[in-house]
Amino acid sequence: MTEFPIVVGLETEYGIVRTDVPDSDPVLESMEIVRAYRSADFMGWNYHEEDPALDARGFRVEGLAQDEEERAFTQSDYRRFFSFKDMKSDRILSNGGRFYNDHTHPEFSTPECLGIFELLRYDRAGIEVLKTARAERERELGVPGALSLYRNNTDYHGHSYGCHENYLLPRRLGFDSVVSHTVPFLVARILLTGAGKYGFESSERQGEVAYQISQRADFMETIVGVDTMHKRPIVNSRDEPHADRRLFRRLHLIVGDANMSEWQTAMKTGMTSMVLKLLIRSEWTPDFELENPVSAMQAISAGLFDQKNIRMRRGKDVTALDILERYWEACERTLSDRDFEEDWVIAEWRQAMDHFRRNPSLLSDRVDWIAKKAFLERFREEENLDDGDPWLQSLDLEYHNIDPEKGLFWALEETGEMRRLTDPDQVRSAFVHPPSLGRARVRHAIVRRFGGDVEEAGWERIRFRTGVALDLPLFRDASAEVLSELGCRISTLSDPGELAEILAPFTDSAEEAKIQGG
Amino acid sequence: MHKEQTWKATWSPDRQPIPGSPKKDVQKDGPVPKRPDSGKGPDRLMDRMRKVDPNQSERYRQRTGE
Repeated sequence: MTEFPIVVGLETEYGIVRTDVPDSDPVLESMEIVRAYRSADFMGWNYHEEDPALDARGFRVEGLAQDEEERAFTQSDYRRFFSFKDMKSDRILSNGGRFYNDHTHPEFSTPECLGIFELLRYDRAGIEVLKTARAERERELGVPGALSLYRNNTDYHGHSYGCHENYLLPRRLGFDSVVSHTVPFLVARILLTGAGKYGFESSERQGEVAYQISQRADFMETIVGVDTMHKRPIVNSRDEPHADRRLFRRLHLIVGDANMSEWQTAMKTGMTSMVLKLLIRSEWTPDFELENPVSAMQAISAGLFDQKNIRMRRGKDVTALDILERYWEACERTLSDRDFEEDWVIAEWRQAMDHFRRNPSLLSDRVDWIAKKAFLERFREEENLDDGDPWLQSLDLEYHNIDPEKGLFWALEETGEMRRLTDPDQVRSAFVHPPSLGRARVRHAIVRRFGGDVEEAGWERIRFRTGVALDLPLFRDASAEVLSELGCRISTLSDPGELAEILAPFTDSAEEAKIQGG
Repeated sequence: MHKEQTWKATWSPDRQPIPGSPKKDVQKDGPVPKRPDSGKGPDRLMDRMRKVDPNQSERYRQRTGE
């Protein structure tokens, strides 16, 4: 059987604040920082291909939980003379990524990637995009240091913003099976993927000032749902494949933390991709089920180094680490024909679990929440602070500041106390160029060649001013050489109408037939 | 030196007011592993931490994202 390559992407919303004025306006600042960034292939986005109310369970909801609040915000923002296009300020970047204002947060979305190390380079390049945009905006303001940007998920006052993961899956997988297969893993993985947070914001524990593993756990309220801003689900059921919906579905996860640690970003997406591969191959399914995944996630997050058994509806009660062990064993045993990246994930996953059992502090060079816990405790002792001192929460926030001169994470990475996996030269390249494989490279070539003829563009569809729309296949099978040649041909075309013919050999249906053995 | 701070109740549009109720829950664990070049690191980190405004998280406000 030919392998199904999982396309993966990350979308990260950043917190933003003006430090030179008494009342920072995140609505204005999020818009202006994106607008200050002018290095784009194209400005605009094809919102016509998006329908956030379409549910993967086979229906369309009447409305989303956030609609009323969104309408109120939109009305008030219109009164400030911002059009929808102004507010969004979409940029399609030369590296195939997207930079825009998403619900008053500057967001960088990586291009579609075919491997986790490639994804890591583009995610890191996204931080460079934010840093560049900040510098340009501060230049406009004439105030160096006027803006602070945070790669985290909370303002500690009940407002959360996301770091979303996207995994392209075969449509033939039933959505219910995706949910039952992944939920125990997604709940347990925070042990290795949590970013750490000083404070609680769930309705049950709001106001408690103590440390926990996850930034996002407090905001998860249900197992499955189409909403993303209220009633947040562990598995989001939004049915937007951004590809041929007859062949593909996109698993859109909003449950994860935004990590500073590259190791965690790589492991979060690497472990999840392998768990999904188990499902694609239909060779293993978990024989256990959590009794209450939402409360289990919050209990794991609060448990820190003292993890208790999780109540199971099916199977024996076990700890989060035991759950991760079971998924690891299935991946190690079943996915025997692993590539280099999967071998790396399996080895790191094994070692991380062993370290956690032996002494979790051994993970302080790669796990945000453990590194943060250690230096917060040290600071508290040295400064003789109470556990509830707000300085500790301010330090938590500063860990996520993307300014290399201020952010606490960067001090750890600079001294080698936190691992760095990316090569700076490769990140510089990812800042400018699209991945060598996959759809982003072709989209970039088309938008570069015919930018003036493009009305709107999105991940999949490019709509030209002539009214003609072009749906791009995923190009998962095409080699870098083939895509290079294709890019050269596109650059010599004189009319966008010629694109359909040269793209015809790359249809997804032909590729899928091969994968299915047809 | 940092002075005592108290947290105020604050309103958030999608959550309930958050009162201040410090709770002693920080645990004692083993030492962080020493890295080969960690001699300068902790001091650099501590210096940086002391420069952080103790009240910045109280003032930090965002709108709800996704």
